[in-house]
Amino acid sequence: MPLERTVLPAPSGSVSSVMLSIMTSVEAAPIEPERSELAPGGIVVENVARSFGEVHAVRDASFVATPGTVTGLIGPNGSGKTTLMLMLASLLQPDAGSIRIAGHDPVTETAAVRSQLGWMPDVLGSWPTLSVRDTLSYTARMYAMDKAAAAARASELIALVDLTELADSPTRVLSRGQKQRLSLARALVHDPSVLLLDEPASGLDPVARGHLRTLVRRLASEGKTLLVSSHVLSELDEMADGAVYLSKGVTASAEALARSRATARPWRIRSSDVVALRAALVAEGIEEAAIATDRTELLVALEGEAAASTLLARLVGAGIAISTFAPAVGDLEHAFIDLSSEESK
Amino acid sequence: MSAFFAGVGVILSLELRQRVRTTSWYILLGVFVALILMVTVLLSFALNGFGTDDNGAAGVYSTVIYFVLLLGTLVAPALSGNAINGDRDAGTLATTQVTLITTGQLIVGKFLSAWITALAFLVAAIPFLVYAAIAGRLPASTIVVSIVVLALELGVVAAVGVGLSGLMSRPLFSIVVTYLVVAALSIGTIIAFTLGGLALQTTATQTSSYALEYDSAGAPTACSAPEEYEYQTPRFDLFWGALAANPYVILADAVPTAYDSNDQPTDLFGYFKLSTRMAQIPQDAGYSYGECVVGESEQYPDAPSARSVIESTTPSWAVGLAIHLVLAGALLAGAWARTKTPAAKLSRGSRIA
Repeated sequence: MPLERTVLPAPSGSVSSVMLSIMTSVEAAPIEPERSELAPGGIVVENVARSFGEVHAVRDASFVATPGTVTGLIGPNGSGKTTLMLMLASLLQPDAGSIRIAGHDPVTETAAVRSQLGWMPDVLGSWPTLSVRDTLSYTARMYAMDKAAAAARASELIALVDLTELADSPTRVLSRGQKQRLSLARALVHDPSVLLLDEPASGLDPVARGHLRTLVRRLASEGKTLLVSSHVLSELDEMADGAVYLSKGVTASAEALARSRATARPWRIRSSDVVALRAALVAEGIEEAAIATDRTELLVALEGEAAASTLLARLVGAGIAISTFAPAVGDLEHAFIDLSSEESK
Repeated sequence: MSAFFAGVGVILSLELRQRVRTTSWYILLGVFVALILMVTVLLSFALNGFGTDDNGAAGVYSTVIYFVLLLGTLVAPALSGNAINGDRDAGTLATTQVTLITTGQLIVGKFLSAWITALAFLVAAIPFLVYAAIAGRLPASTIVVSIVVLALELGVVAAVGVGLSGLMSRPLFSIVVTYLVVAALSIGTIIAFTLGGLALQTTATQTSSYALEYDSAGAPTACSAPEEYEYQTPRFDLFWGALAANPYVILADAVPTAYDSNDQPTDLFGYFKLSTRMAQIPQDAGYSYGECVVGESEQYPDAPSARSVIESTTPSWAVGLAIHLVLAGALLAGAWARTKTPAAKLSRGSRIA
C-alpha cells in the first residue's frame, strides 16, 4: 500500500493496529505479555479520528502500547499529537474508532480509566497560591484518598521528583523545570498503570533529564505502560522502546517505517587524517560529491546497518585511523525526517 | 451520595483555600465593612430627625440589608464569574478533570465556594444588622426572612457567575455578562416593568353626567346627557412578573409585614411590598359618574387598605425567587453540559487543556 494520504475519508480497516518498533536499545522489548482478552492492559488505539468542525486533527490513528514498555509519540507540530493525547486522557471523545486504556473505554468507563491513568499535560498549570505539598495532597484527595494517605503520598512524591527544598513554597515561585517535575509527580499520585507524558523533558536541565530517563525506565520495568510525546528525539531515543509516528493525523504504517529504516542515512566518520579518509572513501566507490564535510568530520550516506559495518571494516582494514563512526542522526530523528519529507512530497 | 459530597468537599476546600489566601480579598472585605459602618452611622443620624424612635432604626435595618444586597451582588460576579474558564486558562481545569472528580462535583464545589465567599460579606455586616434590628425593635421574622432571602440571592448571583464561566470560554467576557445579568435583574426589570406598562395602554371610558337643576334639598333633579370621555391607562398589571424578578422586590416582598392600627405597614420593606403588589391589580377599565344616580357621585371606590391589597395579591417573591432559582439552575446545568468530559463538542477557539 503506497503511503499516500491525500484525501479523506481515512482508509477504514486497511491500517491494522501496529506497534511501530524502531528498536533503539538492547534493553528494549521486555517480555511482551500475551495480549490475551483476559489481560488487555496498556493502550490500544484503533482507527481513531477526531475533527473540530472543518479541521481534521486526527484522521486515522492506530497503535498499541503494551505494559512494561515506553512508546514515543512523535510527529511534526500540528500533526494531532495533543488531540490524540487528550482523547487518551479521557478528556475528548473520539468521533470514530476505539480506545482502550488498561482495558477500559474512556468514553463509557471514564472512572475506571481515570483510576488507572496518569496524565502529564504540556500546559503547566498549577494552583499558584498552594504549596507543592498541598498541590499533591489535594490531587491525591481528588482520587478519593483520605487526608492522611494523601499527605503521605505527597511526601513520597516530593522526594521522588526531588522538590524537597521547595515542598512548602507556593507553586508560583517554581521555575519551568520545577513545575515540570511537579506535574510529573501529580500524574503519579494514584500510582497509575498507564502514563501519558506530554513533553516531559522540556525545561529540564541535564541532571533532571537524567533523572527523568531513569524514572521512566523504572516505571516501565514495574510493568506500567508509558506513552511519551516529545520533540527532543535524541532523548526519546534513549528512553523509548518503540515509537508511533503521527503525521497530519494519521499514524505511519509499518511498511512506511520499514522503508524509512532502509533508506540511506548519513553516517558521521571522524579521523585524525581527513585527507586519507576522503581518499579511502572515494576508493570504496563513494562519489567525491556525495561526501559532506562537517568541521573535522565527513558525512556519507549509507543504506542500512550492514552497509555501514562493511564500510567500517574496510576503512579499518585500509589502515585509516577512525575515532568516530556513528549515525549522524538518531533512529527516531531519521524516521521523523524521512517520513516528514515523504509526507510533503 | 456521601462519596459525591466528599469530592465536592475537596473542591470546596481547594477553592476556599486559594481565595482566602489572597490579601486582596481581605482588603475588599475591609472596604465593605467601612462602607456599611458609614452608611449605618449616617442613616442613624439622618433618620433620628424624623422623631419616631423605632421607625428610624427600622429604616436603618432595611437600608443596611439593601446595601449588603447591593454590594454583595456587585462583588459576587467578580468572585464567581471566572470559576471555570479561569481554571481552563490557568491550565488547572483539565488536570482536575482527569482525576476521579466528576463534572458535577466540580461545578457544585465551585458554586458553593463562590456562594460561601459572597456570604462572608453578609456575615461581616451582621454586627450592623444586629444593632439596627435591636434599635428598631424588629420582629424576629423580619430578621430571619430578610437574611435568608439575602443569602439565597447571593447564591443565585454566585450560581449565575459559575454557570456563565462554564458556558463561555473567556473569563473577562463571562464576568461582564454576569454583571449584565445582575444589572438586568436589578435595573432591567424596573425598566421593563415601566416601559411595558406604559407601552401597552388600554382605553378606559369615563361617562359623566352633571346635575343641571337641584331641588330645594339640594338633590339634583335634572342632569346633562352623559358625556363619554376616553383615556389611556397603563397596564402595569400585565408586567408585574418583570418586577417580581427584581432581587430588591423579592427581598421586600418576602419579609412578613407588620401593620399598624390603620392597616398600614410599619417598615420600609412593607411600603415597597405594597407598591409592588398594587401593580398586580388591573386599573379600572372606566367608570361612570352620574350626579343624578343615587350614590354614584360617591362612585370613586375607596382605596383598599394596605393590608387588603397585600393579602389579596399573589406573593410575588415566590414567583421571583422561583424565576431566579430556575435561572441559576439552568445556567449551572448548562455549565455542566459544556464542561463534561470526555467532551463531544468544543466551542470555537476553546482549548480543553
